Amino acid sequence: MYKLLLIGKYLRRKLAPMFAALAVMLCTAMVMIVISVMGGFLTMMRASAQTLTGQITVYSDLTGFEGYKKLSELLLEHPDIEAATPLIRSYGLIKLHDVTKTVEVIGIEPATFTQVTGYRESLYWSKDDYLQMLDKMSPPLDERTPEIQKGIDRWKKSYDQMDLVEAGMTFQIPKPWSVGAIEYGCVMGIEVNPWNVRTDTGRYGIQNAGLGLPITLTVLPLAQSGSLQTLSPSVRKFAVVNEFKSGLYDVDANRVCVPFAVLQEMLDMHPKQVWETFDPQTGEPAGDPTIMPARISELMIQGRDGVALDQLKDDVQTIVNAFIASHRQQSPLWVQTWEERHATLLGAVEKEKGLLTVLFAIISVVAIVMIAVIFYMIVQDKTRDIGTLRAIGASRSGVASIFLGYGLAIGIVGSALGFALAASIVLNLNEIQDILFKLFGFKMWDPSVYYFERIPSQLDPKEVTIILLASVFSSLVGSVVPAWRASRQDPVEALRYE
Amino acid sequence: MSKQSTLLSAHDLHKHYHMGGEDLHILRGVDLTVKRNEWLAIIGSSGSGKSTLLHLLGGLDRPSQGQVYFDGDVVDMKRNSALDRYRNRDVGFVFQFYHLLPELTTLENVMLSRMVNSGVLGWLSVRAQVKERATQLLEQMGLSHRLKHRPNKLSGGERQRVAIARALLNEPPLLLADEPTGNLDADTGGQILELLQELHAGGQTIVMVTHDPKIAAAADRQLILERGRLQ
Repeated sequence: MYKLLLIGKYLRRKLAPMFAALAVMLCTAMVMIVISVMGGFLTMMRASAQTLTGQITVYSDLTGFEGYKKLSELLLEHPDIEAATPLIRSYGLIKLHDVTKTVEVIGIEPATFTQVTGYRESLYWSKDDYLQMLDKMSPPLDERTPEIQKGIDRWKKSYDQMDLVEAGMTFQIPKPWSVGAIEYGCVMGIEVNPWNVRTDTGRYGIQNAGLGLPITLTVLPLAQSGSLQTLSPSVRKFAVVNEFKSGLYDVDANRVCVPFAVLQEMLDMHPKQVWETFDPQTGEPAGDPTIMPARISELMIQGRDGVALDQLKDDVQTIVNAFIASHRQQSPLWVQTWEERHATLLGAVEKEKGLLTVLFAIISVVAIVMIAVIFYMIVQDKTRDIGTLRAIGASRSGVASIFLGYGLAIGIVGSALGFALAASIVLNLNEIQDILFKLFGFKMWDPSVYYFERIPSQLDPKEVTIILLASVFSSLVGSVVPAWRASRQDPVEALRYE
Repeated sequence: MSKQSTLLSAHDLHKHYHMGGEDLHILRGVDLTVKRNEWLAIIGSSGSGKSTLLHLLGGLDRPSQGQVYFDGDVVDMKRNSALDRYRNRDVGFVFQFYHLLPELTTLENVMLSRMVNSGVLGWLSVRAQVKERATQLLEQMGLSHRLKHRPNKLSGGERQRVAIARALLNEPPLLLADEPTGNLDADTGGQILELLQELHAGGQTIVMVTHDPKIAAAADRQLILERGRLQ
């Protein structure tokens, strides 16, 4: 019982335990913040990667592969496959105002693409954004003249017809827009338009959005042999009908989605008739044409909820093998899970997280040494008390357990404070960054370097528990040597100590 | 048990210390008998080994040679747990420099010697009785108004009285006092001596070491320790 009493008294009355607890607190918080940010980063990357690619992808090289409709049908017969969507992927140039930049262009069928990916949810603008802007820009009710009110109503009616989400899902240009002869819409990543800036609310401002703007897209079609089929690039104009925000900066800054059939045609991957013989007199095609089937770059597949990814991949591989065997298939086909597809990136981040954890664990050893030194000083300071306790009958193990208990208590207090500090920082990391940016112009997190525009973080209960236990254990380890020394103290010498 | 039966005895006690490569023979065969209810004073000059002898008698230190007997049984100097128990139950120490724990209040310092041999549950069951006894002892020492005070708020005499109360809490048969007045002025030292006399009158066996023959005169019997031997 005296051990508890003394632990409590020593904790309350000395400066040294405060420093020891501070050391534990800072180490705990430091490791927890690093793990939380790295963990959040990894989780966000995994979520984004899965959202963007679907669970399984069957893909070929840039020239694409044929017979995808048949393959899609075969895949959809599998009970564990919920949806499949064809996709064409290429690279090109866009011209927006006077800015020209290289982009990744994907041709999608939004209806099926959204079943496989989070496409619909990633569409950024809705008509509400226009209506809110109108509300914000309109004068207060009591200052509105009938003419102003009429104008507002007109705008409201016009905005009401602009279903931007629907436009993003169909690539149809909303009726009130006047975009000349442009037939189709496109959806750009929110960062593709260099004028898009976030407002204080954290959202991008619609007044700077590229909505309704014409863009010129240029792509280079490839022949099935893989050579550049034509020296004249394929050029077409699109109007931006919406923008998407996946959260993955790299994708948001470089990707443009266009209608599947349009890109297929632009890249000369659409079905067409080809004549192999020509009339020598007229040069006109002669005989029956050969039908060149349509090609795509990849097929994205979404399994049903709860299906095991590896099992699904094996099943898809079996179906693809059967498809290759029964069709004239010139290009090779690969099957990959979303994890495999992003393995390089995810693996690097995972390894980085592991490495950082080890590095910070090494730094934590410093905390253990600090605690040992502080405790050694405390034991030195308490030498006469140790002598007194031994004189009134306290055992060696009893004396040792006072200091071990003391270490444990400091570990618990320090790690609890460390958790509180880490939680308050991790949960407000982006707000702290914003304040630092406002005060000093310093930005910790550069979205162009780290993929995500906001600092990701998560407090994983399992990791938090492990860190807390490790901190408490470290404090205990730090107090072992001083406690052992206290227990070995000769009581006579201790009583004479000055 | 006879009132004059032997409570404590020591036979042929030797103590060597090794310091700086030198062997110091502090006690050179001490034989001693203390009867129950006796107050024995051991007088010796500084460095004569009187504190060492008291530490050996109280089980705080182990003799290099010889035995200590308590209440007819040899004190087991080999087992730490036996010595811990002996110090806690059979012996009460009073030191020249009081040795109170500065973080604890007067009352807690006194109760500490009972807490040492109790687990948490055991303590909870006896806490109220122990507190009552500690309070009684402190009242007896004239410190009822100082229960919640810490040692740094007490005078030297008050601290020594708290130390005596702590030594008596477990009702040990033997009180060992090492220069109990050595750190006090004459008046305060006199008060402490009166207190020891009262305790002795109540039947307490006391072994006291002092360098001051006047203080030793208060005891029933005086022995002189010189060059490690009792005269």
